[in-house]
Amino acid sequence: MRFIGKTNIKFIEKRKIWYLVSLIVILVGLISIIFRGIPLGIDFLGGTEVIVRFEKPVAIGDVRSAIAQVGLAKSEIKIYGTHNEILIRTSEQAEGTKMGEMILSALQSNFPDNKITILNEEKVGPRIGAELRRKAFYTVLFSLIAMLIYIGLRFKPIYGLGAVAALFHDVLVTLGFCSIFSTVSYLNIEMNQSLLAAFLTLVGLSVNDTVVVFDRIRENLKLHKALDFISIVNKSINETLSRTIITSGTVIVVLLILLFVGSEVTRGFAFALTIGIITGTYSSIYIASAIVVDFTLARQRKAEKEKLLKKQPVSAK
Amino acid sequence: MKKNRWKIILILISIAGTLWYLYPTYKDINYQKKLSQLRGEDSLKFVQENLDDIQKVRQKRIKLGLDLQGGMYVSLEVDIVKMLDNLAKNKDETFRQILAEVKKEALTSQEPVTSILLRKFQERGIRLSRYYGDIRQSDAEIISELEEQAEDAIDRALEVIRNRVDKYGVAEPSIQKQGNNRIVVELPGVKNREEVRQLLQSTAVLEFKLLKPADIAIKVMQSIDNYLAGKGVADTVDTTNVVTQKQDTTKTIAEELGADTSAGLSEFEKFKKEHPFFAYVRVDEGTGIGFVMARDKKMVDFILSRPDVKNLIPPDFEFVWSAKPFTAQDGNQYYNLLAVKKDPEITGKVITEARATIDPDNNSPIVIMRMNSEGAREWARITGANINKHIAIILDGTAYSWPVVRTKIVGGSSQIEGLDSPEEARLLEVVLKAGALPAPLEIIEERNVGPSLGEDSIQKGLKSAYLAFIIIALFMIVYYLTGGIVADLALVLNIAFILAVLAGFNATLTLPGIAGIILTIGVAVDANVLIYERIREELAIGRTLRSAIDEGYSKAFSAIFDSNVTTFLTALILYNFGSGPIQGFALTLMIGIIANLFSAVFITKVIYDIVADKYPTVVKFG
Repeated sequence: MRFIGKTNIKFIEKRKIWYLVSLIVILVGLISIIFRGIPLGIDFLGGTEVIVRFEKPVAIGDVRSAIAQVGLAKSEIKIYGTHNEILIRTSEQAEGTKMGEMILSALQSNFPDNKITILNEEKVGPRIGAELRRKAFYTVLFSLIAMLIYIGLRFKPIYGLGAVAALFHDVLVTLGFCSIFSTVSYLNIEMNQSLLAAFLTLVGLSVNDTVVVFDRIRENLKLHKALDFISIVNKSINETLSRTIITSGTVIVVLLILLFVGSEVTRGFAFALTIGIITGTYSSIYIASAIVVDFTLARQRKAEKEKLLKKQPVSAK
Repeated sequence: MKKNRWKIILILISIAGTLWYLYPTYKDINYQKKLSQLRGEDSLKFVQENLDDIQKVRQKRIKLGLDLQGGMYVSLEVDIVKMLDNLAKNKDETFRQILAEVKKEALTSQEPVTSILLRKFQERGIRLSRYYGDIRQSDAEIISELEEQAEDAIDRALEVIRNRVDKYGVAEPSIQKQGNNRIVVELPGVKNREEVRQLLQSTAVLEFKLLKPADIAIKVMQSIDNYLAGKGVADTVDTTNVVTQKQDTTKTIAEELGADTSAGLSEFEKFKKEHPFFAYVRVDEGTGIGFVMARDKKMVDFILSRPDVKNLIPPDFEFVWSAKPFTAQDGNQYYNLLAVKKDPEITGKVITEARATIDPDNNSPIVIMRMNSEGAREWARITGANINKHIAIILDGTAYSWPVVRTKIVGGSSQIEGLDSPEEARLLEVVLKAGALPAPLEIIEERNVGPSLGEDSIQKGLKSAYLAFIIIALFMIVYYLTGGIVADLALVLNIAFILAVLAGFNATLTLPGIAGIILTIGVAVDANVLIYERIREELAIGRTLRSAIDEGYSKAFSAIFDSNVTTFLTALILYNFGSGPIQGFALTLMIGIIANLFSAVFITKVIYDIVADKYPTVVKFG
């Protein structure tokens, strides 16, 4: 069986259009991030979060008014999974950890004939939140630097730059999508440790595709010395296209299963990774490879110019 | 075939090792199933009978993270502001005002609390010596002393928490010091959260209690033994005789148990029927101190907590356990069971100083303890009245040491000798201080996962793992025919390797960890896809099957290697960043990558080397 036979698509020639497309997508995402943001989870925000399960379905408005009675009107209340499970989050920090009990008793007195159990309760102090934000920033930064160095060493520095540019692109696009889709309550998107883990995994996986293409470029450069650089890159992308699509396909299938069958807890993670893998596949071609082409062409032009400049005095003699 | 001999041996060894590491997990699941069917005393009996094996498989099985089995994660910090408040003397309005400011700032600042304090004092031009330390000391000296106190406090808190959690009886608790002033406690399966918070945060109680005289202690144990054997209570037999005789019997029985002969077992059973208490508790005649094998501790606890047994224990009488087990000459771990007077002679509040040091006379570790004047007076009276008796040092109901009083101690400075090691002395120092200088702990992070959520997560995780596996496996077969079967085999091995390594390294499987495995299912086939696509290319340009396979593997390798290294690097960074569950994810990802290189590249190549030579018609890549 074969999805894709031998192809000869001229990827690189169209790169300018795709630069523009990427730019637009990133801009839309950034606008969403600026105006809507990504809701910060309790890991980063600090506060108290309680997930309760009601025996019978309840209306979210009733829960809100019950919570408001104990002075937590500003709490965030949303459906978690099914209609019987509700997540309540407040940034208020009671001395000790009385908040959970307070919420539970408020709910119990308002829904006397509905059995309520606490599924999950988390309390994160403000210092932990701040610490985590700082650590998260450094973690993503370190991973990008690590990629830059590794690929720069294994291939050429330019390739490292191309790969990292693609990674930036993937992270930005995925952040944008997460922000746009953060209103879909099914997905449970919020900036927490598990979403951060998704971003780092995405860095690791999306660079995979890039590496495979680069590897083929490296090989073809040795084999076909006569071909110009654009043709070599195009040839390499075409040759690896079948593999790229199959691998990305299997990973996406798995992630979709995780998204729709897996636990609520990992949904945001699965969503972010799905987007990340799709953009990662795309960016390995239109960002990473394309940037390497542009860099290389620019350098070739510069080298030719210098050559001409050097030759001129000689020919003048 | 010949050139692959060592490779085949390596593969077989790794598969055997995998089965070896996964077997305890399989057995543990069976035990859990069995135990959930039994109730009350039956289950305790079942545990008692299979204790060694249950504990062995428990230690070697794949551990589930808190997010999967439910439980409580608590991160505590020494409340330094409170400590500063406790330590200050001559507190006035200015001090309270400064401390309030420090408290407010410390809530969000990364700056150490002591340096905030120093700054606030300097801003006002007040010297720290007004409230702390000595009038002659400089600010810097006092600050470093306070910092030392804070660090000391965390060690005390750690010991107090360890002791309490042990007593509370949580299975597989994890208590760790994180950084300089943080303690992370993980308690699987805990339901009563309020109780745990109390347990972790309440002030430690240090007491000195007199050991009961040996004859009285033995008499009480004797009556428990008689009662359990159905002989009725309080007989006036010559107890000392019985006990001596018992001692001998227990000794031989312990030996025979060690030899594990069935004859010994049946004799033990007989003895157990006649002396249900002494079968577990061996008593030293001279001191009346009991010795209980570590594995029997729960059983003895259970016996002692029975209401009818409790009635046999006199009201001013109490049994306490030693804090740490010791290894006896027979190689077994024993706890001591002490009979003490219920009312303490004195509490740890009077202790002003405790210091582990070395006795200059004989180079042995000792602990020096000082008391305040009020305590010293009491202490002189107590020690004077109890010369040559044991006094147990009891923290939160567990005995850490029970030294013998040599002389009447006047002046409040005591010396505790006869300690086995400097570590033991250091531990005793920590314990003695714990009662006097409480380390106020503050919960800065707490996570609770209800067992039903954990159960739910496991179910959903397993379901998606199965589904992902089936779909990917089928796809590979449809797309690559027999090549797909080989790749699927590699995939199965890959997952088994991950689980075996988790079990072998005592790592924890978390929900994100399961996600990591599921992700690995998707990513793992990548290596085979790369290789097979390459082989297809090589076949297309007219190579023979044999050389196409070799070329495919060798040309695809650099891409496989580089892409795995990059993923591994990010997983490594993630591991260093994350907390529990996220580390679990990063770990499974890292193991998965290494296992993937081994199974998807190395093993499949050996398979092709064999099959392509012998049955070339079978080998197809779609």
